[in-house]
Amino acid sequence: MNPCHDYLNQLTRRQFFAGAGLAMGGVALNLLAPRLRGAVTAEAGARIHPALPGLPHFAPKAKRVIYLHMNGGPSQLDTFDYKPGLQSQFNVELPDSIRAGQRITTMTSGQAKFPVAPSIFKFAQHGRSGAWVSDLLPWTAKLVDDIAIVRSVHTNAINHDPACTFLMTGSEIPGKASIGSWISYGLGSENNDLPAFVVLTPKFSSKVSAQALFTRMWSSGFLPGGHNGVALRAQGDPVLFLENPNGVDATTRRAMLDGLAKFNHHAQARHGDPETLNRIAQYEMAFRMQTSVPDLTNFADESPATLDLYGPDVKTPGSFAASCLLARRMAEARGANPPSRLGPTRQLARRSSPPVSRHGSSLLRARHRSKATRLARRHARRLGWRIWSHGLLAGDAHADQLRPRSSPALL
Amino acid sequence: MPSLRLILILGFAVATASVVRAQEIISFNEHIRPILADNCFACHGADAGHRKAKLRLDQGAEALSSREGIRAFAAGDLVESEAWQRIMSDDPEEVMPPPDSHKLPLKPEQRALIKRWIKQGAVYQNHWAYEPVTRPDLPKAVGGAKTNDAAIDRFIGAKLADKKLKLAPEASREVLLRRLTLDLTGLPPTPQEMDAFLKDRAPDAYDRVVTRLLASPRYGEHFARYWLDVVRYADTHGLHLDNVRNLWPYRDWVVSAFNRNLSYDQFTIEQLAGDLLPNPRIDQLVATGYNRSHLTTSEGGAIEAEAEARNTGDRADTTAAVWLGLTANCASCHDHKFDPLTQREYYQFGAFFKGLADRCWDGNIPKPGPIVLLADAQQQARIEAIARELPPLQAALSARAQTLPMMLPAPAAEAEKPATPSNTSADKPEKKAEPAPINYEVVWAEDGDMPVAANFGALAPAGEWCSGSTVPVVGGQRALRLEGAVNERVFTFATGETPLVVNQQAVAFVHFNADPARTPRAVSLEFVSAEKTKRYVWGDPAALRPSADGDVVVGPMPAAGAYARLEIPALAAGLASKKAYRGLRLTQSDGAAWWDHAGTTCTSAKALDDPLLTKSAWVRFMQSNARDLTTVPLPNDIVFLLGLSSTQQNDAEKKRLENYYRDYIYGPTRGALEPQVHAVRRLLAEQVHYELTLDASLIARELPEPLPAHILIRGQYDKPGERVQPATPAFLPPLVASGPRASRLDLAHWLVEPKNPLPSRVAVNRFWQQLLGAGLVRTPGDFGAQGDPPTHPELLDWLASEFMSSGWDMKYLVRLIVTSRTYRQDSRVDPALLELDPTNKLLARGPRLRLDGEVLRDQALAVSGLLRPEIGGAPVRPYQPINIWEPVAFGGSNTKTYVQDHGDALYRRSLYTFWKRTAPAPAISTFDAPSRENLCVVRGRSNTPLQALALMNDVQHFEAARAFAERLLAQPGDDAQRLAFAFRTVTARTPDRTERALLTEALITHRAHFAADTAAAAKILTNGEGKAAAAQPAPEIAAWTLVANLILNLDEAVTRN
Repeated sequence: MNPCHDYLNQLTRRQFFAGAGLAMGGVALNLLAPRLRGAVTAEAGARIHPALPGLPHFAPKAKRVIYLHMNGGPSQLDTFDYKPGLQSQFNVELPDSIRAGQRITTMTSGQAKFPVAPSIFKFAQHGRSGAWVSDLLPWTAKLVDDIAIVRSVHTNAINHDPACTFLMTGSEIPGKASIGSWISYGLGSENNDLPAFVVLTPKFSSKVSAQALFTRMWSSGFLPGGHNGVALRAQGDPVLFLENPNGVDATTRRAMLDGLAKFNHHAQARHGDPETLNRIAQYEMAFRMQTSVPDLTNFADESPATLDLYGPDVKTPGSFAASCLLARRMAEARGANPPSRLGPTRQLARRSSPPVSRHGSSLLRARHRSKATRLARRHARRLGWRIWSHGLLAGDAHADQLRPRSSPALL
Repeated sequence: MPSLRLILILGFAVATASVVRAQEIISFNEHIRPILADNCFACHGADAGHRKAKLRLDQGAEALSSREGIRAFAAGDLVESEAWQRIMSDDPEEVMPPPDSHKLPLKPEQRALIKRWIKQGAVYQNHWAYEPVTRPDLPKAVGGAKTNDAAIDRFIGAKLADKKLKLAPEASREVLLRRLTLDLTGLPPTPQEMDAFLKDRAPDAYDRVVTRLLASPRYGEHFARYWLDVVRYADTHGLHLDNVRNLWPYRDWVVSAFNRNLSYDQFTIEQLAGDLLPNPRIDQLVATGYNRSHLTTSEGGAIEAEAEARNTGDRADTTAAVWLGLTANCASCHDHKFDPLTQREYYQFGAFFKGLADRCWDGNIPKPGPIVLLADAQQQARIEAIARELPPLQAALSARAQTLPMMLPAPAAEAEKPATPSNTSADKPEKKAEPAPINYEVVWAEDGDMPVAANFGALAPAGEWCSGSTVPVVGGQRALRLEGAVNERVFTFATGETPLVVNQQAVAFVHFNADPARTPRAVSLEFVSAEKTKRYVWGDPAALRPSADGDVVVGPMPAAGAYARLEIPALAAGLASKKAYRGLRLTQSDGAAWWDHAGTTCTSAKALDDPLLTKSAWVRFMQSNARDLTTVPLPNDIVFLLGLSSTQQNDAEKKRLENYYRDYIYGPTRGALEPQVHAVRRLLAEQVHYELTLDASLIARELPEPLPAHILIRGQYDKPGERVQPATPAFLPPLVASGPRASRLDLAHWLVEPKNPLPSRVAVNRFWQQLLGAGLVRTPGDFGAQGDPPTHPELLDWLASEFMSSGWDMKYLVRLIVTSRTYRQDSRVDPALLELDPTNKLLARGPRLRLDGEVLRDQALAVSGLLRPEIGGAPVRPYQPINIWEPVAFGGSNTKTYVQDHGDALYRRSLYTFWKRTAPAPAISTFDAPSRENLCVVRGRSNTPLQALALMNDVQHFEAARAFAERLLAQPGDDAQRLAFAFRTVTARTPDRTERALLTEALITHRAHFAADTAAAAKILTNGEGKAAAAQPAPEIAAWTLVANLILNLDEAVTRN
């Protein structure tokens, strides 16, 4: 694929429609405007993030995709990837036939020994599918029939940077488009109040030596820049520059935007450039986001029982729990359509408060089923079989922190 | 609504069909090749490895020839044209493209084109871009072009006339001046410049403005920015830690090259191979930073062969795209599918870069070598002298050091520990019996003071190191003579490279020999340390200045005429274990004395943990205590080696580090080496002084013996195939090699060889794209079969030929374009033209473009009067929302935390904003700036709500609006005049009646609001760090700030008309 070519094709298509619409006068333009990538008018059915023409090319089952990238999460060997044969190999030196000359990271390359470390957690089969799940995940085990477990994804990279870049973009070498950008590019989004592709970035203490999550992991690469993931940030403005400057309230901003729209319509009449109409729409979308995003990130309308389901961290912005809840809220936010000033989550709040079961599993299952959403758990391993211990084995303390870590991903 | 959709579709068909009229001759390159390239070449193209039926359709000789009586294309004969029959077939076994290729059947209009092409004789053409550049005759002056119009307009006009169109009238002078000023300098014109231009009715007024702008230093800054996108310049390494990279002098070189109007051929040669020119100047070396601008890493566990292959590939891909418009990377795994570039040729092209001397690792340091110091002539002479004098002295020192026994453990037997200590204790050596503490003596001052890079050039300290038969010495050949009252004399106990920490115990000592005739009244000793330590006094304490932290009176003055050893113990003096010290401070009250042989007796618990005894302990200490190693006063190449993990160091590097440790760091032999080491240390300290104080830049140097280049099978770094030598692709004119192995310099010359058909076309196309919004070839990085053919092939050739015959004169080319009527057209578009030519390929109007993020920021700073004019220098860190760098950075990265600058640095041009590759500045990246991880020959121009938010709310933009408001309030006149001035300062034109009314309405609205809400008005003044002038009431400034914010967000402000 040639990025420039592709980009210009995009432009061409957009401008063609724009041009053709103008040629047929104002009525046609208004009907066509929703077809313009990024443009929106108040007509029903308008989509600000349309799909590519011809897509989707088969009836979709999923309506949205949530991708949990759990950098440094527990290993697949301790969670889903049951390897009973390893038990008999406890503390046995990793055979050359398995290692086969594989590289290892600096973390372990200094080791004189590579003892095999079987999981210390018990595994059992669950659900009608009989999937093996370790007792680390008792609640997930109850949901296992709603989960697709993919064990085959792995990378050749042993280091975090290239491996994560590979997982997100399909290539270890930076510059390719990320998975979310492709979805935004191909399928767009039905929500007019939020960007099509949103990324929740974590927050952690500066004392933590955390793995880096480079922006390239949600970059649009060679796709048009509009498909970049929009980071909903845990600190500072949730969306960059979302908050009005000191001393500017919503009324003042509205007044400024009303003036701006008049100017820009005037300019459009002068120049005839359809991009100006698009710009007016983008400014209006920006204004709506100023309302919809804070609504989204404000958990006040969640019942204590629901918050409980996510654990105590849920109130800490940027925590895994808070990000999960935020992801759910976004998945449920339909967006005002036709666009209205009423934020999407307030519409949510009008629905009955959700039923809560003791452990939340039935609630979650109900949610997933009602949304016809399927979860696919994808265990991405940075290297084929990482079964040796990081350090020497001692007693039964050879799981978790001793295991070279994987990056599980929940799709 | 359905019926309207239908109309739309019909409209599409009409528009497409109108592209080719019935009587037009079908051109293979323009019409047929793109269809075949998309649908056929993958199996019937240049890649022999995947060719089906041994048939290639990209070359006429094969496609038109008969094989066993069958021809793919038969001139004029559809029935005999097998390819046509296959295209038209209904049989899934027969039809082309075959269903399993996942390609759709050819569209009716594509079939129609092929049909007519066959009927017209199926004439093949070679791919246009690989044909020599011709110099076409000027077409007739039609399409609105006049006989005396520029050549550009004649070509554009001819094509317009074909479509019954003509050039649009010239844009208004206001629009024109803003367009030109923004395009040439990246800044808007000032009202004074506008007035001058509007008044100047001379016929050459416009030309003179062009001359003025081309001479402005802002021109170089603006044009450099496009080039920096192309060559992916940034201020960090880009991978893993994404640490700081010190390459900004290269950025400044690019600015200067544009401003000096360096010719494009020289511009090319100096960047690719300035180091290989005879006696290269410093600036020519800086230019070679081009070869150092790619992503690098030093991630532990990364594989050298892989990193090296990636670096080479990146260099080859970028050079091929930038100069040749080739998507060379496609040939890294197999022959190029669409262009005549074989896989072998790809690796031959990469082989030119295999001689580069930089290691594939960056060591996570800012200046991985080779580097050049930006020295003036005098400094340069000195640096060169040091480089000459140092090696023989160092060799002699090494030879002597080799003869001295080292205490345990010998460096070769050291257990190497990982560079980044892991968080488990499991890989530490198994517990052994604790060894007994080790005592050893380090002599820091024997024949002279320890030279310190940081103090270089400072006044010499008191006293003189003397030698001769009358000089009594304890060791070595010299002793220090101090006379009179000496209030402070320091023996430095480290050159700064070795951290000195009290281990179990340390006793500092010095030898003192008072002149019997002039015995001092008192002397004292004290540790130089950040800790509070006691002073030890011999003689009468009253003779000395009072001590801040207390004295220990040891006793009377030692007997004169002989050396006495004076000692102070660290623990008793108040220097606890693990605390650091840097030297010994002495004072002397009157008299005269000899001082000699100063140092420390150390007691160490474990040799393995003592940096003075064990190399690995030293390395570990340096790495953990000075992680970014930026300011460590060591030679830059040693700093680099310290930045590498032991698995990354090659044997030569390991040896070099070991030798350096043995010769300069290892403690116990220092005294014995002193006579040899002293001169070396002085020179080294001076060298380090220059490295630390002078600006430096990463450059290219050539290895004596280049690394071997191989074809990588399927592009795999670990599957080297046949070895190859540097060579250029066979489908382009041959390269003239200056020696047995073609060099980078040969490559550079070849890239600007006039016979080479690509570089001139690719270059003029980029300039055209920059000034007209889109290239004549709309795929500026792909001039191959998959790229777009030129919209105006003759014009492209004419410009390329003109560019070369001007001596590759970039300013001349720019002037040629911006003075054309084509460039000066009005950008207004009517619906009919928009429908006919939505993307303005025909150029029947001027282009209307959204400004880049940098220009928008600079524009806001310029109109508000905040913009700082300084050119060049280290990058700055202006306002940035919190939490941009932090969530994406590794813990150990030195770009983990964004520390914003203050004052003038907030208002520099955006060119100078620090560019962190893994998190570029949002003010710029929001507007489609690339990450600079890969080459970028064209930026997108998206239109998103995030851009709206940035322009409305970014503190940089809002503060600019506030400063603009204050500037407006300082203007003479009433509201209406000020509003008009504001509007004109940004848009360069006077508002019309509607706009004046809207401006007034906006001011009245905001004024009423802030008059009623003075608290909000006061808050408006708190945006940004600049202080508001007290002269105006807050509500007034606030109201005007919102008006300014509105004006800076106008479609017309963010767009250039």
